Amino acid sequence: MTNDIDQTIHRIAEIIINELKLEDVTPETFDADLDLVDEVGIDSMDLATIALVIRDEFGVRIDEDDYPKLTTIRIIGEYIAEKRNSVE
Amino acid sequence: MTGQATPATGWKFADIIAIAAIGEKWEQVRRYFFLRESTYDMTNRCNIRCDGCYFFNGEKQFAPENLNETAWQGLMEAEKARGITFAVLAGAEPSLVPHLCRICADTIPLGAIATNGLKAIPQDIDYRIHISVWGNDSTSKAIRKADDMLVRQMANYRNDPRAVFVYTFTPHNIEEAGEVTRMLAEDGQQITFNMFSAPVGYNGPLRHTPQSLAATRAMMTELLADYPQTVLFSPYNIVAHTHELGLHALFSCSYPRVNPSTAIGLGRSFRQYRTDLQWDRDAACCVPDTDCADCRHYAAGSAVVTARMYRHAIDPDTFSAWLDYVDTYLAVWVRGYEKGPNLCHRLVVPPPDGQ
Repeated sequence: MTNDIDQTIHRIAEIIINELKLEDVTPETFDADLDLVDEVGIDSMDLATIALVIRDEFGVRIDEDDYPKLTTIRIIGEYIAEKRNSVE
Repeated sequence: MTGQATPATGWKFADIIAIAAIGEKWEQVRRYFFLRESTYDMTNRCNIRCDGCYFFNGEKQFAPENLNETAWQGLMEAEKARGITFAVLAGAEPSLVPHLCRICADTIPLGAIATNGLKAIPQDIDYRIHISVWGNDSTSKAIRKADDMLVRQMANYRNDPRAVFVYTFTPHNIEEAGEVTRMLAEDGQQITFNMFSAPVGYNGPLRHTPQSLAATRAMMTELLADYPQTVLFSPYNIVAHTHELGLHALFSCSYPRVNPSTAIGLGRSFRQYRTDLQWDRDAACCVPDTDCADCRHYAAGSAVVTARMYRHAIDPDTFSAWLDYVDTYLAVWVRGYEKGPNLCHRLVVPPPDGQ
């Protein structure tokens, strides 16, 4: 389970780096507890874009009302795991 | 089941944007996702007094003016520092204080100015300029008490790439939009459309009815077809702004006034400054004192419809309609942005959240 979440977090980091064209960071060095809004500078349209890629890749729909809660990669990873578990 | 994977249509986002025309426009508009707006009332004076004016409703009109250039410079620098990249200068008539507008434009290079167009704004203030039109000159004379408004507005902004005329539809000027659009087309101008949205407590004759919304929809459709080079609009703009439900009911408005979240997006960054350079979160939206249930403002839609990208990414047509809307919004608000042809020509039903 932990390994699954770690893989998910790694993949989310890749998605964010790719979608936002972030430099000087890799999925390995991306701090999973970094605040995406305050410390990375993500805003709502960035998050919506990331949410669409996550929907494609993980088969999980992110509710619009949940955006404000998704403040770190770790929280997004846990959110995805919870959603996937709820449909199994 | 909230964890539903792909939408009921079966389309993945990657497959939607793999369609060449959609992918191209997607890449074009997403370059502007960095825009973060706030709005600023510049002065509590105006050179005309219009029936139904948004500024002269509610409390904000009574805020004292702050004309101190140092104070404005400080405000703009602070706004820039907190991430604001787009300044909207409005209320009551910014052209009366060009020196303050210049401070804003020099500090935050992207922005727009809402004006009645009767006093030309100096060329060096390189913001988009929205010139308000409320009907033909006969109607303007009646409700704005000014003679020859459109002729004077066009003269002030002839061959000026900053200018876009904003025609506000009321139940009583729908037919006049044809005459106004034709005159603007002949003069080489551009026009976009706004909807009268009732201030809180207003129940007068300017409030739209189901019949006037339908008639407005028909007129907008006709003008968009007849003047595609002049009219900055799309079929989805028409749907969103003439729907019997207002923007809040359709798309869940994200301005602070109705959005308690300060975590991300407009709820976090948007402020509406009064002329005393103060702001109030409980009143913060693009046109304060509007009855939210009746809000169909073009300015509100530009932010609110755009913010709901996720729910539109369910099939190529619906996402194309959203892209057309964003393309229109950027063309109306951002200097130098060129609107492309609309991708979706049918009237798409606004999708609810949860697709």
